[in-house]
Amino acid sequence: MLTIDKLCYLSKLRYENPTEKFLYAILTLLFCIISRSVAMGIIVMAVNRYLTVHKGGISSKRYFHLMMIPFTFLVLSTLAIVVNISKTPLDAYAIPVGDYFVTGSYAGVWKGVQLCVTALASVSCLYFLSLNTTMTDIFSVMRKFKVPNLFIELMLLIYRYIFILLDVAMRIGISQDSRLGNKNYRTAIKSFSGLLSALFVRAMHRSRYLFDSMEARGYDGEIKVLEEHYPVNKKAAGVMCLFHLVLLAVTVYIKVQGVVFI
Amino acid sequence: MHVMEGYLPVGHCIAWGAVSIPFVVAGFIKIKRIIAEDRKAMTILAMAGAFVFVLSSLKIPSVTGSCSHMTGTGLGAILFGAAPVSVLGLIVLIFQTLLLAHGGLTTLGANTFSMAIAGPFLTAGIYAICKKANMNKSVSVFLAAALGDLFTYCITSVQLAVAYPSEAGGVMASFGKFLGLFATTQVPLAIIEGILSVLIVMALETYAKPELRAIGFNKEA
Repeated sequence: MLTIDKLCYLSKLRYENPTEKFLYAILTLLFCIISRSVAMGIIVMAVNRYLTVHKGGISSKRYFHLMMIPFTFLVLSTLAIVVNISKTPLDAYAIPVGDYFVTGSYAGVWKGVQLCVTALASVSCLYFLSLNTTMTDIFSVMRKFKVPNLFIELMLLIYRYIFILLDVAMRIGISQDSRLGNKNYRTAIKSFSGLLSALFVRAMHRSRYLFDSMEARGYDGEIKVLEEHYPVNKKAAGVMCLFHLVLLAVTVYIKVQGVVFI
Repeated sequence: MHVMEGYLPVGHCIAWGAVSIPFVVAGFIKIKRIIAEDRKAMTILAMAGAFVFVLSSLKIPSVTGSCSHMTGTGLGAILFGAAPVSVLGLIVLIFQTLLLAHGGLTTLGANTFSMAIAGPFLTAGIYAICKKANMNKSVSVFLAAALGDLFTYCITSVQLAVAYPSEAGGVMASFGKFLGLFATTQVPLAIIEGILSVLIVMALETYAKPELRAIGFNKEA
C-alpha cells in the first residue's frame, strides 16, 4: 500500500552506506533552499533524477508521478505569491477589476518561479533519500545522530504497526465495498467512520496481545536489533564532496554578490 | 495541510522548529512518565501513533472528488490528550514525509507546530471547555475536531504569509490570500473531519467502552 516503502527495497542503491545517502540528501537540500537559485535547482533535480532513476533503477514514469504529489499545494501557494490585489498596478501585469487591479511585479513573478524550482528540487532530494534508503537504515542513522532512544523505539514500533493497521483497514475496506458500502456519499461516510472505529478497537486489542507476547520474550523497554553494516563508498563520497563544494561556492557567491537572477 | 519540502526560507524553518521544541520535549517527558508508570502504555502509544498515521493516509470520501485526507491529530487529541499527540504527531509527520511525500524535512518544524501542536491543543482545549459546560457530546466533539482542523490551516496560512508577505499590503494581505485560496479545499474538509470524528467517537462509545477506559478517555463512564 505504501509505494515508496516498497520501492526503496527494490532500489539498487539500497546497500550503499545510509549515513552517506542521508548526508548527501540533507546537504543538497540545504544548499537549494539557502541559495534559491533556479540554475542550481535545475541541476540538482537532474542529478537526483539520474541517481534515482538510472542508478537506483526506479521507472521514470513512476518517478514523475511521485514528483507530482505536492502539485496542488505548489500551484495554490505560488498563485497566492504571484497574484496581488491592489489599488495601484504593478509593473509585470495588471488586470483591472472594478476599482482594484489584479496585479503582480516582475520581482514577484521571478520569486514565484524561483520558489517552484527550489521546492521541486528539494522534493527530489527528499525522494533520493526515501526511494533509496529503507526505514530501518534511517533509524540506524538517527541512532548515530544521538536521537533519544525512547523516541526511536516508539518510531520503530509505530513503523511496524502501520503495516498491521493498513492491512486490517484494507480488508475492512474490501468487505465494505463488496457489500455496497460505498454506493453513495451517505453510505461512504458511514462506512468510513465504521472502518476507523473498527480499526481502533482492533488496534487496541492488538497492542494488548503484542505487549504480552513481547513481555513473554523478555521485552525490557528496548528492542535490540542487529544493524547491517554497509561500507562507505569512498569514490561516491569523494564525488559527493566535490559536488557539495561546488554548490557551496555557488551559494556563497550568490549570497555575497547579492545576485538575484540565477 | 502540509507545507511542502523546500517551500520555507531557512530562517523560518529554524524558527518554527525552535518554537516546536519545548512542546515536543514536554510531550516526551510526559510519555516517559506514562511509560514508567505502566509499561503497557508503550504498545498502546505506538498503536495510537500508527492509528493516527493510517487515519491520515486513508482517502476520505470527499465532495470535490479531489484526494483529501484527515489530519487525524484532532481525533488523536480527543482520545489520547494533547501532550502525547505532539510527540506522536512529530513521528507521524516524519513518516508522512518519508513514506507519502507529504510535508518535508526542512518544513518539519513548521508542520509540527501547525499539525501536531496548535491544532491538537486547541482541539483538546475546546473539548475540555465543552465538557465543563455540559454540552452535548456530539456537538463538542464536532466543534473540537472541526475548529482544530481549521486552526491548523490558519496557522499554516500564517506561516506562509510571514515567509512571503505580499508586495501590496504586506503580511496581512498575504495572509488573506493564502486563507482564501486554501479555504476552497480546507473548509469542506474540516466539516467532514468534524462529522467523521463524531461518528467515530459515537461508535467507540457503543462498542469499545473497555478500550476507551484503558486509554483514560471517558473516566467517569
